Amino acid sequence: MNWDLVIFYYLAFAMVISSILGVLSNNPIYTVLLVLVMIVHQAFLLLTLGSEFLTAIQIIVYAGAILVLFLFVVYLINLRKETTRSIFVRRCSLALIIFLIFFGMFFTNLMLVFRNKPFIQAYLPFNFNEKASDVWWIANYLFKNYLLQFEIIGVILLIAVLGSVFLIRKVKSINN
Amino acid sequence: MIEQLLNLLNIEIVKVILAAVIMVAVTLLHVAYLTYAERKIIARMQQRLGPNRVGPRGLLQPFADMLKLIFKEDVIPKAVDKPTFWVAPFISLVCAGAGVALIPIWKNFVLSNINVGLLFILALSGLGSYGILLAGWSSNSRYALLGGLREGAQVISYEIAMSLALLSVVLMAGSFNLGDIVNAQLNSPFKIYLIPQIIGFFVFMISAVAECNRTPFDLPEAEQELVAGYFTEYSGMRFALFYLAEYAGMIVMSALAVTCFLGGWAGPFDIPYIPFFWFFLKFYFILFCYIWIRATLPRYRYDQVMGLGWKILIPLGLANVFLTAIFKLIF
Repeated sequence: MNWDLVIFYYLAFAMVISSILGVLSNNPIYTVLLVLVMIVHQAFLLLTLGSEFLTAIQIIVYAGAILVLFLFVVYLINLRKETTRSIFVRRCSLALIIFLIFFGMFFTNLMLVFRNKPFIQAYLPFNFNEKASDVWWIANYLFKNYLLQFEIIGVILLIAVLGSVFLIRKVKSINN
Repeated sequence: MIEQLLNLLNIEIVKVILAAVIMVAVTLLHVAYLTYAERKIIARMQQRLGPNRVGPRGLLQPFADMLKLIFKEDVIPKAVDKPTFWVAPFISLVCAGAGVALIPIWKNFVLSNINVGLLFILALSGLGSYGILLAGWSSNSRYALLGGLREGAQVISYEIAMSLALLSVVLMAGSFNLGDIVNAQLNSPFKIYLIPQIIGFFVFMISAVAECNRTPFDLPEAEQELVAGYFTEYSGMRFALFYLAEYAGMIVMSALAVTCFLGGWAGPFDIPYIPFFWFFLKFYFILFCYIWIRATLPRYRYDQVMGLGWKILIPLGLANVFLTAIFKLIF
């Protein structure tokens, strides 16, 4: 039995199912938990590709930071059951359009994969097991080949931080 | 028969499982006797006797406690959210305890030698906050909810400071692997990172105390304000799991401090036949400090805890990373 394949299919199915359940769930806390399950599986998918670093970062950033903040928001507005379904339903047409665009892209790519010439192709610019650990490779690519992009992302994140601080200040001055 | 079985199973797998079982047993024993040591040491510091009834000098007290907790009725209030209420203590315990597998106890013994061991421990401690947040929410009680919220905020804040302190260690060692970090320390001029990374050690130790919710940062379970915090509604074995998680977290953090700052398994001279002697010596010393801090310091106010984390420790950690990088560039 090909265990790699078994593990891959398990992870893939678990991710798909937990995402669908997360969308369908009425309870916001369960939604966050199902997304957590999805993210952990995604991290292990990265592990099967040989990247321990990305696995750890995925869990630290998404599960350890972002989702916890989501959980906080859900706590603070104290929703036991989701009461705002109508907003989602009202914007259903928009969601449908976006879904159709993505589905079209996915479907055409899938068709092209069967004819063996996909136009969106995932690839790694290096082989993880080749020379050094994946940390070394990723650092090398980030700080040599993609330094400018990396710095731009840094600036964007800084702007986001400043923006959040600015928002809080504004609220305070109104209160006073 | 046995030979066939061994052939059937891969020998390596059997070895790993055996090592894991031993490790779990050793960790649980440590957790049990850590509670005893804590009660005894604090009692001495407060001029009391501490537990002294069960067994000689009260040495069997942890087992008596454990038996009591196992046989207690497991009360589950009606209004709780059952699935999350059940799963929360397990998330807590697993995430707190699993870090032990990554610690190199001596030169040739580490259960799981992965490249990014340090990051993995950080990831586990990040996931650990889910157990507490969920326990707080699912209990459907004001005290538990507030305790969970406090805990969540505290863990997130102090995790940043802790990561920054560890990042400067990674910068100096040039690796995320804990074994490599120890080896790099042994090759450095001071032999341990405590001296060049004294700021990092300071930041790490304070945030480690805060991560484990120990006094003086035990706001989430402040008895006077919140009864027992996030596990107010828990009883029996489930309550014990949270208790175990707290002590397992202490053990992992102490072991991490020994590995990253105090030179791991190495000592001034080798002790024959006991390769883990120095590791455990340093490890017990740090655990003693944890207990000592608890016996000595009063609790902080909540805004002071947050202020310390965000306004002092994170800037200190950042400055430390910056300084380390500059020193690394120059030398």
